[in-house]
Amino acid sequence: MLKKSIMAVLILFMFVPSAFSKTVITVATDATWPPMEYINKDKAITGFNPELLAAMEKVSDIKFEIKNTAWDGIFAGLAAGKYDMVASSVSITEVRKKVMSFSDPYFEVKQGVITKKTVKIKSKADLEGKKAGAQIGTTGFLVTRKIKGVTMKSYDEIGLAVEDLFNGRIDAVVCDDAVAADYALTNEQYSKDLTLAFLLESDTPEYLGFAFKKGKSKDKLALVNEALKKVKASGEYDRIFKKWL
Amino acid sequence: MADKNHPINIEVGDGAAIPVKKDKGLVNAWSISFIGAIGCIIYLCMSDPDMYWEVLKFLPDGVLVTFQVTIASIILSLIIGLFTGLGRISENKIINTIASTYVEIVRGIPLLVQLFYIYYALGRFEFLQISELPSAIIAMGICYGAYMGEVFRAGIISIDKGQGEAARSLGFNKTQTMFMVILPQSWKTILPPVGNEFIALLKDSSLVSILAVADILRRGREYASVTFSYFEAYTMVALVYLVITLILSKAVSKMEERLNYYEGY
Repeated sequence: MLKKSIMAVLILFMFVPSAFSKTVITVATDATWPPMEYINKDKAITGFNPELLAAMEKVSDIKFEIKNTAWDGIFAGLAAGKYDMVASSVSITEVRKKVMSFSDPYFEVKQGVITKKTVKIKSKADLEGKKAGAQIGTTGFLVTRKIKGVTMKSYDEIGLAVEDLFNGRIDAVVCDDAVAADYALTNEQYSKDLTLAFLLESDTPEYLGFAFKKGKSKDKLALVNEALKKVKASGEYDRIFKKWL
Repeated sequence: MADKNHPINIEVGDGAAIPVKKDKGLVNAWSISFIGAIGCIIYLCMSDPDMYWEVLKFLPDGVLVTFQVTIASIILSLIIGLFTGLGRISENKIINTIASTYVEIVRGIPLLVQLFYIYYALGRFEFLQISELPSAIIAMGICYGAYMGEVFRAGIISIDKGQGEAARSLGFNKTQTMFMVILPQSWKTILPPVGNEFIALLKDSSLVSILAVADILRRGREYASVTFSYFEAYTMVALVYLVITLILSKAVSKMEERLNYYEGY
């Protein structure tokens, strides 16, 4: 009798998970980019991106497991298979497309330039001869590096660059516009001194996407794209967008 | 020696200590590592120039920065270390306490935290704002100064008390005794651990890349973040660090050899 009931329970256990089975996708994010993704006061990862992922979970069979990872080396970890996907405000660029696969774009991004209110930097040309900072390996860094006459400094985190700007050691910080706006306009401490001076215009629009290892996990990529479509169609995307940006 | 004309047999002993340079041969730990590292770099550059040679070309200004940081902080930490060591054995209670407190505090805080603190935290105060390279040097000098201080203290203590007493009875004052009798003798004890600290300092200088100082490590990371060739970039960074460290360790062992010349070690 006992044996039978144990067997029955075991069989039940074997079937139950498969009945409610969800595709687990491990996600790496560099949670140092408020409001896109950051660690809040309760030590939880929050922001636009994590909430979008949560919304995608609701409309699909995906279960996201989010890991907080340093940006430097986040793509190396992806290539090494330490996680399935990177969801960390990754811009879709031609160079990156060569080494990784991207989901459908989910966000249009521009590069914003933060400066001190007292400094007169209003255009690309004004940056000449100035010191600019950006996070290592970000589009902000790559774009600014190409501007003539700019001394470039690369930081481990965008927050360190903004702190250096606030302390007056550099003249400008370049990063995604939403992030720049958060630091320069909504941050209690920084907004007194800093301002979002201008947006760097680009010839081609830049989009954020979820990055996958090249040629791997195509089924997971398809699932993510499908979920993204559903979230956009239901209007949930617009709600999240309004909430954070 | 003995023949008909010179019947006296002269015994020749070991004689006075004539310095004989010991031939250590080509195959030793140092040369294997050094030739291996150089060989690795050359081989990799030849086999895949598009990758490894490109990385290597990206690194030189980083090497220069690493040198600057290392040499300046070595000098700073030696000066701080000497005074800390002297302070730690001082009979003056106040000086002694100051030196000991410095060692306890600095030794108890990780270098990385000190770097963050001096650059980002103290940067909030306008009069304490120093640019990244001096901040890095000061932080490393202060940190390693504490360790060096302990090494100096141990070296000074190791000299027999009688040496000091003899110098004093010959009319040397306290300072002269310390700088002309005790310290020159203790240098031999101090040098090996100090050399060790030099090498540790060189490697820890990679931590300063957190202050956006463009040293070897940051150059490598910048290269990798754009090209995604992490393996190639970090392999080269590791090999370049290895070569520099080996050169420094050779310099230290040369200095040791000179000090021990007459003892045949």
